[in-house]
This record gives sequence, C-alpha cells and structure tokens, in this order.
Amino acid sequence: MDLFLQTLLNGLLIGGVIATFTIGFQLAFGVLHVIDFAVGGWVVLGGYLGYYMGAGLGVDGFLAIPVAFMLFGAIGYLIGPILYNVRNSRTARPELMALALTFGLFTLLRGGMLTAWGFNTHSVPTVLSGESLAVGPLTVPLIRVAAAVFAIAIAGGLFLFLYRTRYGLAIRATAENRQNAALMGVNIRRLSATVYGLYAGITAMAGVLMGAIFSVNPEVGLRYTLFAFFVAVLAGLGSVGGALVAALLLGVIEAFVATYVGSSYSLLAIFGTLFLVLLVSPRGILRHGL
Amino acid sequence: MSTTLTADNIVTGYGKQEIVHGVSLSAEAGKITCIFGPNGSGKSTLLKAIVGALPVWSGTARLGESTLSNLAVHEVVRQGLVLMPQGGGVFPRLTVMENLRMGGYAIADRRLVEQRIEALIEQYPSLARRRRTAAGSLSGGEQAMLALARALVSEPRFILLDEPSAGLSPAMVIETLERITTLTAHGIGIVMVEQNIREAMPIADKLYILAAGEKRFEGTRRDVRDDRQIMEIYMGGA
Repeated sequence: MDLFLQTLLNGLLIGGVIATFTIGFQLAFGVLHVIDFAVGGWVVLGGYLGYYMGAGLGVDGFLAIPVAFMLFGAIGYLIGPILYNVRNSRTARPELMALALTFGLFTLLRGGMLTAWGFNTHSVPTVLSGESLAVGPLTVPLIRVAAAVFAIAIAGGLFLFLYRTRYGLAIRATAENRQNAALMGVNIRRLSATVYGLYAGITAMAGVLMGAIFSVNPEVGLRYTLFAFFVAVLAGLGSVGGALVAALLLGVIEAFVATYVGSSYSLLAIFGTLFLVLLVSPRGILRHGL
Repeated sequence: MSTTLTADNIVTGYGKQEIVHGVSLSAEAGKITCIFGPNGSGKSTLLKAIVGALPVWSGTARLGESTLSNLAVHEVVRQGLVLMPQGGGVFPRLTVMENLRMGGYAIADRRLVEQRIEALIEQYPSLARRRRTAAGSLSGGEQAMLALARALVSEPRFILLDEPSAGLSPAMVIETLERITTLTAHGIGIVMVEQNIREAMPIADKLYILAAGEKRFEGTRRDVRDDRQIMEIYMGGA
C-alpha cells in the first residue's frame, strides 16, 4: 500500500512538470498550427543550461530556471517567424513543410548537442539534490517536490497571463480563430513569434527541472517529444485544460509501470493507453480537441 | 462626416484563381450600401480584399484620404473599418465580455474600452444578462447581436457585413437589419453583402449587383424597375 501511494505521488509530481511544457506545446499548436517536433530539444537544452550553470559556474541549478526562460524565450521569438512563414507559405502542403522544419530543427539540436557535449549523462545540481522528506510512511525526494512547486508556479503564471491580460486574451482568441482575431486588430505574425518564444522558454524551464530530477543527455529529447505528442493526442490537439489532466495521467502511468513492471515497458504502456483512448474517444479525453 | 469608402478596380482571388475581376464601388458614411449577387459571384472575396484579409492583386481601396490596400489586415481596424465575417465570427470559447473586449483590442486605453462596452451592452439586454457565458452557448440570434456589438466597440466609421442574415430565423433577420439601420443614424457607413434581397432591399440606400466577379448593376433602390430586372441580372442577362 505504501509502495502504491509512493508511486502515485511520484507520478503526480513528475506529471506536474510534464504538464508545464505540454501546456505550452498545446498553446503553440493552437496559435501556430504547427506540431512542434523540437519540443524535446528545448527540454534537453534547458537541462544542459542547468547542468553547465551548476557544474560550470557553481551556482545552484534552480537559478538556471529564469535564465532558461529568458534565453530560450528569446531564441524561440526569433525562430517563431520562420515557422510562421513556412506554415503560411503557398507551398502545396504547408502543414507538412512546417512539421518537416521542426523535425529538422530537432535533428539539428540533437546532433549539435551530441557533437558538442557527447553521450555522457549529467544531472542538474541543486541545493536539494539527494535530500528527501518523510511524510508518514512515504519518502519523497525534495527535488521532486520543489520541481512540482516550480511547475505549479510556471503553469499558474501562464494561466494568469492568458486569463488576466489583454495580450493573453488575444492569444486565446487567436488560438480559436486566427482570421477573426486579425480582423479585431491582432498582429498574428508577431503574436505567433511571442507564443513560440513563451513556449520555448517554458519548455526549457521544464527541462531544468527534468534535468534536476532525472538527468540529461542529448538522446532523451525524443522521449520528451513523444511525451508531448502523447499528451496532445490524449488531451485533444490544442486543448490546454486537457493537457494538464493528460500530463498527470502520463506521469502516473509511467511511475506505475516503472515500479511494478519495469521502466523499459513505459513507452509501451503509454502508447497502449493512447491507442485505447483513441479507440474509445478519438477527439481526446476531454473531447475538446480539434 | 463625409467620409467615403471607395474601391477602385479591385482584382483579387484565392491562390492563383482570380475571383474578382476589377470591381469599383463607393459607399457613403451614414448610408447602407448593399452588394447582391449569386453564390460565387465574389461578394465576400471583395469585402475581404478591402480590409486586407486577402491580398489585393491590383486596384486600390481607400477610406477617406487614406489608402487601405497596402495595410495589413490588423492595421485596417485602426483606420476605422471593421469587417464582420459571415456567421459573425465570435470566439465561441471566449465569454461575451471577452468577445467584446476583443472588439476593442485595437484601442490601447483599457478603461475607454470598458466604458464603451458598458454603454453598448445596455442596448443589448440579452447580452447584458450573460456576460460570463461562453459565446458558443448563445443562440444564433444572440451571437449575431454579440458580433454586431463587438464590431461597434472600436467605434468604426464603416462596418462591412458579410451576410448578416445568414442562418438566422426570420424574426432575427428583421431585428438584425433594424439594428443595422439604426447605426446609420450615428453616421456609421454600412457595406453589406446579402443573399436575402427581399429583406435587405428596403433598407438599401445604394446597391450593387455582382455576378461572376464583375459588376452588373450600380444604382439606388429607385433605379431598380422591378424584381424581374434583378432576376435577369442574376441569371447573367443585362
């Protein structure tokens, strides 16, 4: 029973971190209409930033979180317009071209990181690493608790921005209908760049957290891309609320499979779940998808 | 208030397909200008080109002294021109209030927007009662009212309406057209694309008929001899 609760708690804590970048992924899809293959690349880059700031500069890994947001937010803001142009180009299948572009970006990031940093696995050092908290019969690694707290703060900040600001309203309107938002005076091109920057920044922050909980090497990016796809399809593409639910579910499934079956089966279990959900409800668990 | 909205020899289309082959029109502030024409005649395409939602291939659109044709669609609102797309174009997942705020998005002064919304919403009791309701769960008629109210938040000089009567019940068509008529009293110019000639004709100050992307008729209501003449133009005669 303790093991069960322990696993459930671990899963929820990890799911919370996954939720942050999958919410961003959903938002980027809603606004840009691009399925971003590069999502895992941003996670890994965030992890490496945390590692190098911690191991290289000797500062606490958590300090990398705001740096990751600003650095990768800026890079995303610069890449956003390229993605927008490709997606809205007059080629025959712009949606496939955009997918190919993000796949290329992902491959480039992965290859570049392998060349620069090699296969070695690193983890982000923080003041909480290795500490744990005893709650009754359960022991919770403090780093996971802290990561979940950061994740809640990030997601909360994003929701406040989306639901309490004029620009957030424009983002939600654009995600619903681009043409009509443009008719209201929204500069869709600039807004797309901002959203991609926001998403890349948030994803890199989640990467710092993931790097602190687990570890980071250039090969784990694909895993995070698959996570984002899983959540997006399960929640319904573009559904932000569904992403939260699906990410928590993903965290829990992964934790249970890792504890009771073996972590090498986790992707099998994840995609088995996805298959079953799509059989029953093709538009996602909350039936909000497009 | 003698602003004129003019389109001069507009050529436009989708992709490489030319839909509108050089159409000119002019609309006066405080008047209702109707564009009639069969399906596929290029009426909606023309409106989209005027507001910059579609690129203008050649020709120019002007509002008063300013040229619209080289502005991006999001800049046209700031010139005082709003397009209400077919079906109203409300954002179904946003609330009534959020939709109205989007109507004032081009205005930087947030308090001014809120003031205008409060003043407007009084005239739309069905909306005032449902401020926090998602627009998608309003009835078709209420959505049409919301779209109209939203178009007014920016206090435009001209409103272009793409088939405001489409999909509405006969009673709602009458109410919508009545509301549109009252706007002209405030000096707002209306350009309206319609299929429902029977209902729209009586309120039209000026009318155009398009067929196959070309202008077939231009004049006032009095210039129309009888319904048969309209039918003939529709069928490709004249």
